[in-house]
Amino acid sequence: MRHYPRWPIHLILLVASFIMLVPFYWVLKTSVSGENIFTYPPNIIPRNPHLFYYVDVWYAIPFARYFLNSVIVSVLTIAANVIFNAMAGYALTRGFRGKNLVLMLFLSCMMVPFQATIIPAYLITGKLGLLDSYLGLALPQFSTIICIFVFKASFDAVPKSLIDAAKIDGLSEWRIIWKVMMPLAKSAMATNIILSFIWSWNNFLWPLIMTRSADMQTLPLGLSRFLSYQEDTTGALYAFCVMVLAPGILLFLLAQKEFIQGLTSGATKG
Amino acid sequence: MVTATVEAGRRHRSSFIARKTTRQAVLIWCFLAPSLLIFLLYRILPLAWNVILSFQAWSPLRPAVWIGFDNYDEMLTDEVFWQSLWNTLYIIGSAPIGIAIALALALLVNADIRGRDVYRTAIFLSYPLMTVAVAIIWRWMFDERVGLINYVARSLHLVDSPIQFLNSFTWALPSVIAANIWQMLGFYMIILLTGLQNIPGNLYEAAEIDGANAFRRFLRITLPLLKPSIFLCFVIGMLNSVTSFDLVYVMTGGGPGRATEILVTYIYKLGFVQTRFDYAAAVTVVFFIMLITIAWAANRFSGGNAGAVERD
Repeated sequence: MRHYPRWPIHLILLVASFIMLVPFYWVLKTSVSGENIFTYPPNIIPRNPHLFYYVDVWYAIPFARYFLNSVIVSVLTIAANVIFNAMAGYALTRGFRGKNLVLMLFLSCMMVPFQATIIPAYLITGKLGLLDSYLGLALPQFSTIICIFVFKASFDAVPKSLIDAAKIDGLSEWRIIWKVMMPLAKSAMATNIILSFIWSWNNFLWPLIMTRSADMQTLPLGLSRFLSYQEDTTGALYAFCVMVLAPGILLFLLAQKEFIQGLTSGATKG
Repeated sequence: MVTATVEAGRRHRSSFIARKTTRQAVLIWCFLAPSLLIFLLYRILPLAWNVILSFQAWSPLRPAVWIGFDNYDEMLTDEVFWQSLWNTLYIIGSAPIGIAIALALALLVNADIRGRDVYRTAIFLSYPLMTVAVAIIWRWMFDERVGLINYVARSLHLVDSPIQFLNSFTWALPSVIAANIWQMLGFYMIILLTGLQNIPGNLYEAAEIDGANAFRRFLRITLPLLKPSIFLCFVIGMLNSVTSFDLVYVMTGGGPGRATEILVTYIYKLGFVQTRFDYAAAVTVVFFIMLITIAWAANRFSGGNAGAVERD
């Protein structure tokens, strides 16, 4: 095959990776030292690193409350996504009248960014009486089209004979989904869990619009409020950032394969 | 006698099958119902409601009155609207920069080199992060006194005095765009990488035998076959960057002045700060028509078959 020197590739990729990773380092460094908030030139390596700012976050704001709210909304979203998307994905593997219409509807919904619906979405949620509630926070994300297609692709790969056999054994469609299909679609399920977690965990605009009480605020809201109170005067802001980012990064590093598979298969299919 | 029984049996059987298929159809629609309901409630109905609201004068305290095109007339003379429309188009126009960088990176990490998975992870890591936190990180990077970017620029003597990136009318929008590209780069790269890996290798071998050099191979094979992936990046990038509400809200709040106001932040402010839901709905309608038009144009440009779904 072709022979070419490898080192230029490595060099460019090293520089690119460096640029991509430097902001992480910078924020991490500030969160453990905070010294260069006031001094110039900034130190590249933190002097006297400490965890004071992390403790400070805990006492300065209701971090536990924000965290709990975020977790509740995420769990609701994940549960709904796995159940509803699996059902819809299974339905789409079958032939039925109006299937093309449903596919068309799903695909056109993908072109509607949520941000273009905020005013009526707020009014609708108000009419449902769900403003400022966990259910209202999670409801718009209860089902995602990309994830439906991820399940559909995975179910399509299950041999038809297996489903027929299950039917002959007298299993209902409902039980076929949960007892036969789901165990065979573990990676699709992982993709669903990860994607819906990330989307709900990071969501900012919707909670910003529809929460009223301080008790219902999620982590991104808490972060943006903290910024508006404190501006850039404390390293605690950056400690807060690290604490908020950590779960997402950890989950991503653990399940990178499923995450990327889901994104690419969902994006290229839909 | 016997034929009659068979007839009856067959009739019974066919009605049994018919009943079974209707039952199955009902079941299938039941399975689809929750998802369909959510999409109707939060995608389709809002679109329709936006259109209706845009022709009305309405606020939560007043009854709705039909006013025809008054909201749209107001937009024509609303300078903030034009400014945010322009900024939005500016962001869309900058999407190809990110895609071009991502394409270069995708070609490199597609090469057969050691440690490419590590590079991929490093470049992709910023994509799944919470955008609010990303915005705070980049505020800090762009900080005029002690931000890293100013520090590097000053150490290299590129600038004499620090640039107030986020407070400057010239620099604020490009700074937001830079942060957005930083977050989206890995995602573009992964999409393009998948596209690259779907190109059959024997095409390259044949071209090589025919004496095509690397640059020509890229121009004649890679680029045309990658068109659908590039289109996909563009559409997703457009939907994503245009809606980068979180980034603008946290980094600049739309300022200085209205220098980084985009349509989504303007819609938010109109609706939820000034409680002008009717006018905000009209702006949303224009915003949505713009998105659809650009997506349609990009689709035509890429050959019209991109984003097609396999229907079985």
